[in-house]
Amino acid sequence: MALLELKSISKNFGKLQAVSNLDLGVTKGEIHSLIGPNGAGKTTVFNVITGFYPATDGKVIFNGEDITKLQPHQIAQRGIARSFQQSFFFMWSTVLENVLIGFHMNCRAGALKEFLHTDCARKTDREARKQALEIIELMGLSRQKYELPGNLPHGHQRALGVSIALACNPTLLLLDEPVTGMNPTETKEMVERIRKIRDKGITIILVEHTMKVVMDISDRITVLNYGHKIVEGLPDEIKQNKEVIEAYLGREEEEDAA
Amino acid sequence: MSRIAKIALGVLVLLLIAFPLLVNPYTVQVGITTITYSMLGLAFAFSMRVGLPRLDIGAWWGVGGYTTALLMKTGMSFWLTALIGGIIAVILGFLLFSIALPRGMMAFFIFCMVLSMAFYQMFGSVPLFGGWGGILDVPAPTIGSFTFINKPELYYMGLFFLALTLVVYYLLYNSKIGRAWAAISSSLKLARSVGIGVVRYRMANVLIGNFFIALAGSFFVAYYRAAIPTIFSFQAGAIVMVYLIIGGFMHFLTGPILGALIATFIPEFVSRFKGYIEYQSIAIAVIVILILMFLPLGILGWVDQRVKPWLYRRKWYWRISRWGVKEEREIPA
Repeated sequence: MALLELKSISKNFGKLQAVSNLDLGVTKGEIHSLIGPNGAGKTTVFNVITGFYPATDGKVIFNGEDITKLQPHQIAQRGIARSFQQSFFFMWSTVLENVLIGFHMNCRAGALKEFLHTDCARKTDREARKQALEIIELMGLSRQKYELPGNLPHGHQRALGVSIALACNPTLLLLDEPVTGMNPTETKEMVERIRKIRDKGITIILVEHTMKVVMDISDRITVLNYGHKIVEGLPDEIKQNKEVIEAYLGREEEEDAA
Repeated sequence: MSRIAKIALGVLVLLLIAFPLLVNPYTVQVGITTITYSMLGLAFAFSMRVGLPRLDIGAWWGVGGYTTALLMKTGMSFWLTALIGGIIAVILGFLLFSIALPRGMMAFFIFCMVLSMAFYQMFGSVPLFGGWGGILDVPAPTIGSFTFINKPELYYMGLFFLALTLVVYYLLYNSKIGRAWAAISSSLKLARSVGIGVVRYRMANVLIGNFFIALAGSFFVAYYRAAIPTIFSFQAGAIVMVYLIIGGFMHFLTGPILGALIATFIPEFVSRFKGYIEYQSIAIAVIVILILMFLPLGILGWVDQRVKPWLYRRKWYWRISRWGVKEEREIPA
């Protein structure tokens, strides 16, 4: 059964058609990659799924529920978390506090219970702290847990972004270019971590430009170009697909000519 | 907290309590106005905690004030009018902010400005509020047979309201709600993506602020014994943002109080020498300009950034702060 389904999703900004008629299905437990040249609409798809952009047309169905018209925080509460291309973090809190926020906010409908500092709340505080430390351990940030995010190197900031998303206990994790700007060692470590996340049962949609990573880790790949899906399939198929190669190489020719 | 800090805090509290006994009655009045303005400044900082600079403080201050004035004239107890004023401010605020809050910070900002001016006009023109002359001869508040008439008594009542405000704000800031608010002001997009309903949390914040702003209004009218539109003007409500700038804009509890102290007492002091009331506004303007030029993070910000590190490098600081602290090492038998 498909965990996430996009049915004929279109998104335009005035005259600019960012995404056209996209059909996408993501099965539970897989790592599904979304690739395409710059400007193909990949981040737009993420923004539509998570509710940051309202879809111009089409439906987003998650776990059988139509989430197209929901607000970002409602979608997050239903189990979809994401990391951002530009690492966002809460700059005035430590790494540990950053991750803790994800725990405290998700799936908590009753804010009043939390304000009253009940015993139940305190116990869950301890639980949350334990789980937050586990996530920090997984993402390799243990030594920096009391640092301010602004002081961290780029790679660690990216890892923090993923950690914050993981703190929401998601069923589906959207990773937007998690290894961009990392050196080969960091990249290898991040790939391992993504695998571990999948092994915990979290479904992952990955947007990446580093082809090696994409081919290595994905179960299935969808390729976008100018907002259209041009092909979808297994990594080996995609590698050899003529249209895909043209989409990437064709771009290079245009840039050469310009 | 080190022993020396505890002693310093104790002295401060003692000074606060003994204040009316140490100064002349006029200065006590200045103290009362300072207390009122710090409550308003605290409310401005409160909404800054969710990334919303609110310029409508004058309006809700007036709601509390006029509610107290009108209802006390019918014989109601002051404390009940204060509670009712707060509730009206919350309900009215909810109805009005439902329009503006979902549209973002800028819309809210402009909406608040317009709101404040509209309420000011309403207080002046609608006959119910006594027109531009306002409502005069409001009775003094009572508890049982005790009447709060003298300035020192009103000063202590003011301290009570201030303390109440501080306690509630402090508890909220350190709760999960407070952490959600901090997240919202820190990174709006990220807060949304971890499941924080931004509009909902912001609404809760401004409504709570409304309640305490109205409370300050009720207190002020109890002290002033009159409710006049010009007290609750847009400018009077908006000027309180200056306190946060002076005191320290990351210090949401202590900043506004320090700012209110400085922005009220220094102009008072100046007017005593120069004798012109106009010089008061100039004095505040000069203070703000100097702060922005030399201490852009406010006084407490400067203390955090420069004074504390300097202090921590002095041996004598550590010797003083350790004074009286027992060593916690157990010597084995």
